[in-house]
Amino acid sequence: MKILKNIVNCFAFIFTLTACHPSEEISFSMDPVENVEALWQAIDTKYCYVESKGIDWQAIHDEYITKAALLKKDDPVTLFDLCAAMLDSLHDGHVNLYSDFDRSYNTAWYDNYPANYDSHLQSLYLRDYRIAGGLYYCTIDGGKIGYIYYNSFSNSFSSSNMAWILASFADCRGIILDVRNNGGGDITNAYRLAAPFFSKSQTIGYWHHKNGPGHNDFSPMEEMRLDASLSGGLKWNKPVVVLCNRRSYSATNLFVSMMRYADLSTIIGGVSGGGGGMPMSYELPCGWMVRFSSVRMYDREKKDIEAGIEPDVLVTMQSSDKDDIIEKAIELIHHATKQK
Amino acid sequence: MLKRIAVIVVLFCLVGSVAANEDLEHTNILKIRLGWNYQLDTYISPLAYNGMLIGIGNEWWQPFRQDTRLGRTGRLAHWAHVGRLDVRGFSQVNSARSNKIYGLGLSGGWGAFYYWQWFDNRLKVFVGPYMETEFGARYLVSNVNKPLSLDIAVDVMAMGGLSWSFYGKKTSYRLNYQIRTNLIGFDFMPDYWESYYELEEGIRGTARCSGHWNHHTIKHELALDMQFPHSTWRVGAEHEYLNYGTGDLHFVRNQISIVIGCIWNYRIKANKRL
Repeated sequence: MKILKNIVNCFAFIFTLTACHPSEEISFSMDPVENVEALWQAIDTKYCYVESKGIDWQAIHDEYITKAALLKKDDPVTLFDLCAAMLDSLHDGHVNLYSDFDRSYNTAWYDNYPANYDSHLQSLYLRDYRIAGGLYYCTIDGGKIGYIYYNSFSNSFSSSNMAWILASFADCRGIILDVRNNGGGDITNAYRLAAPFFSKSQTIGYWHHKNGPGHNDFSPMEEMRLDASLSGGLKWNKPVVVLCNRRSYSATNLFVSMMRYADLSTIIGGVSGGGGGMPMSYELPCGWMVRFSSVRMYDREKKDIEAGIEPDVLVTMQSSDKDDIIEKAIELIHHATKQK
Repeated sequence: MLKRIAVIVVLFCLVGSVAANEDLEHTNILKIRLGWNYQLDTYISPLAYNGMLIGIGNEWWQPFRQDTRLGRTGRLAHWAHVGRLDVRGFSQVNSARSNKIYGLGLSGGWGAFYYWQWFDNRLKVFVGPYMETEFGARYLVSNVNKPLSLDIAVDVMAMGGLSWSFYGKKTSYRLNYQIRTNLIGFDFMPDYWESYYELEEGIRGTARCSGHWNHHTIKHELALDMQFPHSTWRVGAEHEYLNYGTGDLHFVRNQISIVIGCIWNYRIKANKRL
């Protein structure tokens, strides 16, 4: 029995030795100062644009820590609003704070830009449409031009969907690919949508991610390649005009950026929304989740795409009875086919 | 000392590669485990997660064959080997109860040991090297663009233990205690803020040599085997502690589980393989 007792004691001793937790762990806390500090630290060490946006993040720390010290511990709503206000100073649509009762968001990136989209005017063109996956499509201008509207890169589609669409546009002179008010989604869908318009695989940009706490700590730049075979052999050899506006954001911004390198493409409309920083998430001591950009994306010339993409042809909608951007796209396709 | 290390290396190389010309006693234990799991993975969250785990595993023990060139010299007289294969799944929630992790762990290992016996073979003490590979995948439910954390660790460990057999009126018992701790190895973690889009194009991360200076693993088990007239069962408790990291990345796992196992003892006939 003595041996048994010794064995059990040994087991208990080793268990006790290993039961202490490391210092990296943060414990659950609703303390306002602790949470504001953790949020500030997360952005300071993990957000990829602190330096390039010229934000005085230290001054923001001083301002908000002082405000947090005045808050009560049992008032999560006020704490949430304070944290949201601090994040708002980043002017980034990819920055959000999620709690059980609210989600913060920033609209500064599109507030002062023309809308360049009117669903009522669009419906004058998008009539008798079909829906393949997440893509709405029809022909316009008497069947001479194919029109595709894609409102979210979160809505998936297959190469079979694309095959049907392109087959139905076989007699058209060109395609209008409308991604206005598309707030982004899955980057994989951006590559898949672009692939039929590329005759060969090529570099469409670069990216690198934060890999250390310093504002300029990034991994080496990695090439982003568009694989032309993603289209499953489908190719579109006629003009394609991409329509974008300021609310073409995130994955849509990347799509617009890569479509500039497609064979017969033209980008028209307004400046795209940007959101070239791929978001990640992290948790605060109170359990709220913060989303922020941590991967920077660049175009093929290594120019940052966070601020948006300038279109080849800048068009601002002014008419009340027609969609000026679609009309311009029709004109461009006819012009291109006449030249040919 | 060098001679003993050479014997161990040869044993690692020879296992399973020799023809069987003798009967061998083989012990197989099929185990299920149910337990509690604490985890900190700063790759996906700075908050610790706790929850339940469930797993199944197989463990086998077998003496080395004595009819090999080495065996005939008598050098393998007190040598045996052990192998393990484990699968476990777990679900955990953070202390704020605002997020969940689902995980899957796979581990497999093999080791050789030298044993001593006393008191009519009732007390057995053993020590030896053990090699283990662990793979873990964790999925954080409300995560953005970095939903999975993967890690791989390969360790050469030191293994030791003892068992004490005693007898009741109708039942024989054997109390076992085993412990393993890492000596040297290799571990891998993906690069810190790499998105899963980047991971798809090739995982970049930290792969490094590990040892007690940067990686701590302790696994130990206390179990009681009960031999009834027609079956043998094991009940016990297992505790595993794993702690390693680099830079801002830190991974800690602490888990305790109750183990119930069914034991088969059988004899492998000469010239037959398992």
